[in-house]
Amino acid sequence: MSKIHNKKIVIEVSNLRKSFNGNLILKDINFKLFEGESLAIIGASGSGKSVLLKNIIGLLTPDNGSIKINNINIVNLPRVAKENLLLELGITFQHGALFDSLKNWENIVFKVKNRKKLSKKDAGILALSIIKKLGLEPQILDLYPSEISGGMQKRVAIARAICGDPKILLFDEPTSGLDPVTGSLIDELIITAVKTVGGSAITITHDMASVCRIADKVILIDNKTISWSGTPKEMLKSKNSRIQEFIQSTNPKLFQ
Amino acid sequence: MTSFILNFWGSIGRKCLNFISLLGHFFLFFVQIISWIFRPPWYFKRILLQILDIGYFSLPVVGLTTFFSGMVLALQTYNGFTDFNNETTVARVVLTSITRELGPVLTGLMVAGRIGAKMAAEIATMKVTEQIDALGTLGTRPMQYLIAPKVIAAVICIPFLVMIGNTIGILGGYIIAIYKLNFNPNIYLYATVEYLQWIDIVQGFVKAAIFGLIISMVSCYFGYNASKGAEGVGYATTASVVISSIMILTSTYIITALFFG
Repeated sequence: MSKIHNKKIVIEVSNLRKSFNGNLILKDINFKLFEGESLAIIGASGSGKSVLLKNIIGLLTPDNGSIKINNINIVNLPRVAKENLLLELGITFQHGALFDSLKNWENIVFKVKNRKKLSKKDAGILALSIIKKLGLEPQILDLYPSEISGGMQKRVAIARAICGDPKILLFDEPTSGLDPVTGSLIDELIITAVKTVGGSAITITHDMASVCRIADKVILIDNKTISWSGTPKEMLKSKNSRIQEFIQSTNPKLFQ
Repeated sequence: MTSFILNFWGSIGRKCLNFISLLGHFFLFFVQIISWIFRPPWYFKRILLQILDIGYFSLPVVGLTTFFSGMVLALQTYNGFTDFNNETTVARVVLTSITRELGPVLTGLMVAGRIGAKMAAEIATMKVTEQIDALGTLGTRPMQYLIAPKVIAAVICIPFLVMIGNTIGILGGYIIAIYKLNFNPNIYLYATVEYLQWIDIVQGFVKAAIFGLIISMVSCYFGYNASKGAEGVGYATTASVVISSIMILTSTYIITALFFG
């Protein structure tokens, strides 16, 4: 992806701290996401990556610190204002989180259909146009999520995230549990999705190959805080032991 | 020994605190849902779908239960009241028992088993698979979209289910009285109509509406607060049916005492 110079800050996390029942999960988290930038967050399982994402999308409230989206601090923001601000985000969850009781096309247009009161016909046309942009088969639209594979569900979740052209996309482990071929397809889809909406993205992943394909910048969460940050190229040359462990366990050839 | 006593009282104290905390959480949940019910947007299509599910699809199970209960009641009354075996006594006992207690309570318990379990399992599954989180991020309030329609539908439907269940139960009693006990149908029917009182019907309706509120709120509460994957879904489902049933049996006494005490 392209390099970022002097761009507007779309997400700014400052001094974030989060604990559950006295158990500290994250501390001193500081980073900025610039317009047009793709940021990858890596870290071991249980390191707090998803907790960080849930704080950013307002599902959790940090103990301390601020989270600014488009320069508005969402922590303690009134409910309606927060809801409106969060509509500018497109989010995919770790396991897709598609609504079982709705068909794929209804899942894809859910947000826009409800907000803009689209007719069934217009919503169907919108779903089809998004599916085509992402290069997916239109036949899946009339199926339920349970009738398609896990990889396809993740692709439908990405389609749902980009519906309505949100300028900030957040992906929680989009390639986890997928074979390498489907994983690289998802990466391509993320790159296409970010280009399609012309926005910025945060991707949480364990997959170093995926990081190299999709990210402009990488941050490592280790020992409850950001222990390393840099570009994917810097990551590959990094002497940080945790980074090396990640790269070697994921794809030794990449590290060589 | 001292530590054993401290641990013993400590565990009782923790259980009491957990219970009070649960009550507090449930109360807050209850207030939130009630407030969402009265605020737009209202999802009418979802309310209608719930009415169909709770009302229409519960009819067979409610009908069968009350029908056989009416039949059993007529038979047992006949056997139990050997000195008063006449149309009037049996008709009166069947009518009063069905309209005041058996109709509403059996309907409530059947709906708690069928619909309460379904509501809890559905919402709990959505919770543990992050669908509820996703709903919130897509500009839709989960409580308003998922739970409020279920509560509205349950409060509307269960009184009508009770009314139908009462009618079927009384019919069951009539069939046994006429075709097995060889009572005079005219006298039996006359006695049934004569002893039918408005307060019994109103009380049955009030009970049914409260049962609808209990079943939907309890089931949605346990579903909405589910965790720990499949195990959490199982727990939410079981807890919703058990707690709803206990609350139905407790509240039926309180309501009866208020009306007839």
